[in-house]
Amino acid sequence: MRSARVVRGLLGAALAALGTTLAGQAPVIPGAPTGQAPAVDLSGYWTPALHEDLMERGPGAEIADYGGFPLNEAGRLWALSYDPSRVTLRHHQCEAYVTPYQMRALGNFRIWEERDEHTQRLVAIHLWAQTTEGHRVIWMDGRPHPPAWAPHTFRGFSTGRFVGNALVVSTTHMKNGALRRGNGAPESDQATLTEFFTRHGDHLTNVTVVSDPVYLSEPMVRSSDFARQPVDPGAWLYACDDGEQILDRPDDAVPHYLFGKQPFVNEFSTRYKIPLAAGLLGAVTMYPELEARLGTSSDAEGRALLSPAAGRAPETSKATDREPRDGEVHVFPIRDNVYMLVGDGANIVVQTGDQGAFVVDTGEGKLADKVIAAIRSLTPSPIQFIANTSFRSEHTGGNARLGDAGQDPSLLGSFFVTAAPRGVTGSFSDPGAHATMMAHVNVQVRMQAAKAPTAAVPADTYLEDRRRKFHNGDAIEFFYQKDAVTDGDSLIHFRRADVIVAGDIFTTTQYPVIDLKNGGSVQGEIHALNEILKMTVYRHQGEGGTYVVPGHGYLADEHEVLEYRDMVVIVRDRVKAMIDAGATLAQVKAARVTADYDTQYGANSGPWTTEMFVTAVYDSLKSGR
Amino acid sequence: MRRTSFANRGAWVVCVSALMTALAVPTDAQRGRGGPPAPPSPRAAAPVDLTGQWVSLITEEWRQRQFTGAKGDFGSLNVVLLPPARKVAASWDPARDAAAGEQCKAYGAAGVMRLPTRVRVSWQDDTSLKLETDAGTQTRLFKFGPPQGDGGDWQGLSTASWDYPQAALAGRGFGAAPGGSLKVVTTKMKPGYLSRNGVPYSGNAVMTEFFDRFDVPGGDSLLVVTSEIVDPEYLATPYWTSQQFKRETDAARWRPTPCGAR
Repeated sequence: MRSARVVRGLLGAALAALGTTLAGQAPVIPGAPTGQAPAVDLSGYWTPALHEDLMERGPGAEIADYGGFPLNEAGRLWALSYDPSRVTLRHHQCEAYVTPYQMRALGNFRIWEERDEHTQRLVAIHLWAQTTEGHRVIWMDGRPHPPAWAPHTFRGFSTGRFVGNALVVSTTHMKNGALRRGNGAPESDQATLTEFFTRHGDHLTNVTVVSDPVYLSEPMVRSSDFARQPVDPGAWLYACDDGEQILDRPDDAVPHYLFGKQPFVNEFSTRYKIPLAAGLLGAVTMYPELEARLGTSSDAEGRALLSPAAGRAPETSKATDREPRDGEVHVFPIRDNVYMLVGDGANIVVQTGDQGAFVVDTGEGKLADKVIAAIRSLTPSPIQFIANTSFRSEHTGGNARLGDAGQDPSLLGSFFVTAAPRGVTGSFSDPGAHATMMAHVNVQVRMQAAKAPTAAVPADTYLEDRRRKFHNGDAIEFFYQKDAVTDGDSLIHFRRADVIVAGDIFTTTQYPVIDLKNGGSVQGEIHALNEILKMTVYRHQGEGGTYVVPGHGYLADEHEVLEYRDMVVIVRDRVKAMIDAGATLAQVKAARVTADYDTQYGANSGPWTTEMFVTAVYDSLKSGR
Repeated sequence: MRRTSFANRGAWVVCVSALMTALAVPTDAQRGRGGPPAPPSPRAAAPVDLTGQWVSLITEEWRQRQFTGAKGDFGSLNVVLLPPARKVAASWDPARDAAAGEQCKAYGAAGVMRLPTRVRVSWQDDTSLKLETDAGTQTRLFKFGPPQGDGGDWQGLSTASWDYPQAALAGRGFGAAPGGSLKVVTTKMKPGYLSRNGVPYSGNAVMTEFFDRFDVPGGDSLLVVTSEIVDPEYLATPYWTSQQFKRETDAARWRPTPCGAR
């Protein structure tokens, strides 16, 4: 017994000595390597302390109160054009908040860790926000961010690491949304976010740094405070389903204000007796210099900020180039057996299965061999069908080469080929020799008129509003859009996979290429975008569900189509208002009617410029289309 | 008996190993001769470099902070004010403050960090960090160690300490969890204003602040000051805010100005 007591005593002394030794070492100082050991435990229930921006975060901010936000001209004009009634449109009703706003929203948060079952390594940190059922996942396992052509979500894609006493989070791939509640201050889909989470006792601080080349002239920094709750506050659901708010409203009506016509713009400055310009000057409003800056401000300056600055050339897009431009073709899985191929100009979609590949659009054709190789990596079966959404060369450039790749000697041949051999009538092809190419008949007509090689021209055409085909276990529908960007456009819907291929009716990279000479029109374009919105079903809070493959740009869902539709409608309305007031095309161009969208979609050179788009809208409206 | 003996032998091995390890690992305190040297000064032990010039980024509660609100316009402070605070604020008279030589009431420790200002942080000595503001030309002194002085002026008495990451044993030799915050507790402030339009804090207010520095990809550095003000006389709950500042290299932007009552 005595021996045991001695042993216990010695053991205690030894461990105490060891502990003292280690605890006595100097604290680790900056410069030490970053570890993944959690430096801060965020787990638990958190309630926002609404001691800052209570009005903004609750009822909403006031119109024209954009002070403290480094909005550039495009951002300011976007906000001033915004009409809060826009949320009465059914597709806008259930939109979630983008992450920078979500972190400042009302409602509680729950945070928990996800650990690997076997190693107990930290895989992810999850945040659930009460409002909008906002579920964020911050990946802690070192995985890379998705490619530029991957879909965007309201939360974005987040990765984290511990640096010092902070969790540092990097977020990309967010949708566009609101930086501020209710008054239109925008955040674009090009925004990236850096966050710092620190915890001091039961006080959690979240610092957000938003960089947005489209709408901000410099990063936007805000910090939010949260108090730890010892018990589950409950009420974590935030059900939303959309419905009609205003009956009989035309589906091409989007609430907005024309530049300079926002009727409530003076309310904020009048109520608080501050200059109108104070809330509109962008980055300077964040700094101590504001007071001096306003000393030289006049009412005229404030009024001038309500419209685009005159005499400037249109801004150009500040968006990330979504094309890989690395000479390679990249495969991106969409859903089930449907894939998007990126790299050869316009996006290509491939459906695979036992019946052979079904391909929608074939790119520019410059990388046709790599496109064929990519398809063969997905399925050993030959290409059976090629469908074209348009006759435009970046969608049909690879037709001939991919068609040849559809050769299937194992097939016994078609009865029809003997009755009407390909090359004689152009109506049918031998499926054993060539993939069958499908499109609206106007694609065939336009390509033949342009003297395209016969092997590149779709032979299997349709004339009516809808073409259907069942292939690889999925119902595939073609919906003809008679006068969108051209007079031969098709929307192609894989019903089971729920993927819509939009062609150039919808892109995320540029203004729509409304080709008046080949039958396009602005009204037809708006109609076609609305047709997409009639087919889509979101999965949750206005995102996910039906995927939409744009002609160019990243894989989207209805939210991106919706914003694009809104943009075309708003620009149309501005041009129409000027036409109605007797404006010439030159006057419309000088008015910079696209100023709030140019940093997203604009171009001053290349095949489709902002000026060409405005001209197309003007000419289309003047000709009653 | 044999098993007990074996167990004891195992325990001895543990004891001896631990003792040897303890003796073999030299601590800073054990290095050198002539007894334990003094622990590193707060300056030498700083887990984070907060020195330099920083400019406030007024991106929250913007109108109330960039402009002097009307009497009774409390902004988000509405949610924490007790009736006595509203009564005092209702009698706010900037001309009276100026006449009484109290035009710095909004520039006290509990108010000045939320004003549009630049701050300069420097070491006054090895145990004192100095924070100067160009708005109101104020100086706050953060003293490490026991409180010294009587306070009673606008900036009160600030006691500083380094606050290390929470994770168990982090920063104590058991893993890579560097970094930390400056913790400052300020008491004995002369009664002043939380906002320029006369929302008061009392002489009994206690303000606890954490100063964190974050380096943003792209080169910017941020100083974020998270603060809690407890004032049973005027505030119904602790008042929590966080203020952010961006590091500046252009010293020419430093423009000291006197306090203004408005």
